[in-house]
Amino acid sequence: MEFKDYYQILGVTRNAGADEIKKAFRKLARKYHPDVSKETDAELRMKEVNEAYAVLSDPEKRAAYDQLGRDYREGQEFRPPPDWDAGFEFSGSGFSTAEAADFSDFFAELFGHMGGARGRGAHPGGGFRARGDDHHAKILLDLEAAYRGDTRTITLRAPRQDASGRVVLAEHDLSVRIPKGVREGQVIRLAGQGAPGLGGGPPGDLYLEVHFEPHPRYRVEGRDIYATLPVAPWEAALGATVKTRTPDGNVEVRIPPDSSGGRRLRLRGRGIPGDPPGDLYLELEIRLPPADSPRARELYEAMARELAFDPRNNSGG
Amino acid sequence: MTEKLAAQLLEEAALTLEEVAAGCRVEVDWVIARVHDQVLAGPPDPDPAHWAFSGADLLRLRRIQSLERDFDADPMLAAMVVDLLEELARLRARLRSAGLDPD
Repeated sequence: MEFKDYYQILGVTRNAGADEIKKAFRKLARKYHPDVSKETDAELRMKEVNEAYAVLSDPEKRAAYDQLGRDYREGQEFRPPPDWDAGFEFSGSGFSTAEAADFSDFFAELFGHMGGARGRGAHPGGGFRARGDDHHAKILLDLEAAYRGDTRTITLRAPRQDASGRVVLAEHDLSVRIPKGVREGQVIRLAGQGAPGLGGGPPGDLYLEVHFEPHPRYRVEGRDIYATLPVAPWEAALGATVKTRTPDGNVEVRIPPDSSGGRRLRLRGRGIPGDPPGDLYLELEIRLPPADSPRARELYEAMARELAFDPRNNSGG
Repeated sequence: MTEKLAAQLLEEAALTLEEVAAGCRVEVDWVIARVHDQVLAGPPDPDPAHWAFSGADLLRLRRIQSLERDFDADPMLAAMVVDLLEELARLRARLRSAGLDPD
């Protein structure tokens, strides 16, 4: 396990005061806020910054970390000595075990054991019973899962208490039946899949915020789906019935005569299922056959001769 | 062995006041105060026992709570930042649906 230099992560010196640490944290929290940051690794950096702040903003954790990490540098191989934290008392504040799920193994190794004795108003021992924390995560789904309500396996990292009461981060797979018709930004709940309860209390729930993986063919807005439908010039000019794929299977689409490029055709109710279901919009893209043979050139030349067509007329060109 | 689970889609009015408070890791009073400040859509029913929250409400309240916590932000300022973030997300989605890369 590698040592994490929380001072370096926040960009402060080891004797920085609480105000300076808070100021450095806020500056970085703004820089790496996942909703606005342009940094490619913003989410990862924000987790590191949160973790560093969780330790350095808490006087008890900071004192323990300072004593332990005095002689270590960022990235150096590290193994905490047994009972390294004897003499320190952690009351626990700020970040929950749910948030600590995002933190590193280094954090879990040092401070994991305190997680089990926390929670809203929790007191260790004394017959206390409390519901476990809810956990939150984002999941990336393929569009087809929303159309059909498929089952998908997702892997989550969550804190679990081991036999000695220490909280460790463990990966586990969940096979989740995705509700049909789920949309980007919606939340799905898995009852009882959050943190375990305390003293026999019920476990918390797991909330998953749904996002769609970028699709090479489809774009999504709410329940509506947008796609490009390539057509030949004669299909657009004369009208045609063409076959095309949708996330829900193949369909036949009627192209009206005199269609121009960019025209949108609406397939009502063929978007993401729901009440009401979304629509599927197909934007026509006229593709020209290449003039790469004598016969193809002849045909283009015949059109040029016989059609009085000026593509710049009425188009400002 | 992988557990097989059915997921519940949180549409309108799916969560109670207590559930949304637990989801935000705050006391119920914090949620009541934010609802009275009208940070969610629509005026609240006078009786909090009748309140029900959607998944979108939960996400919005969690964002407000994290901004208040990380920046010691005034609740109204945090709500305004979340308004702007949501507007940004809507505009980005519209750009993507028009085939344009928002970045």
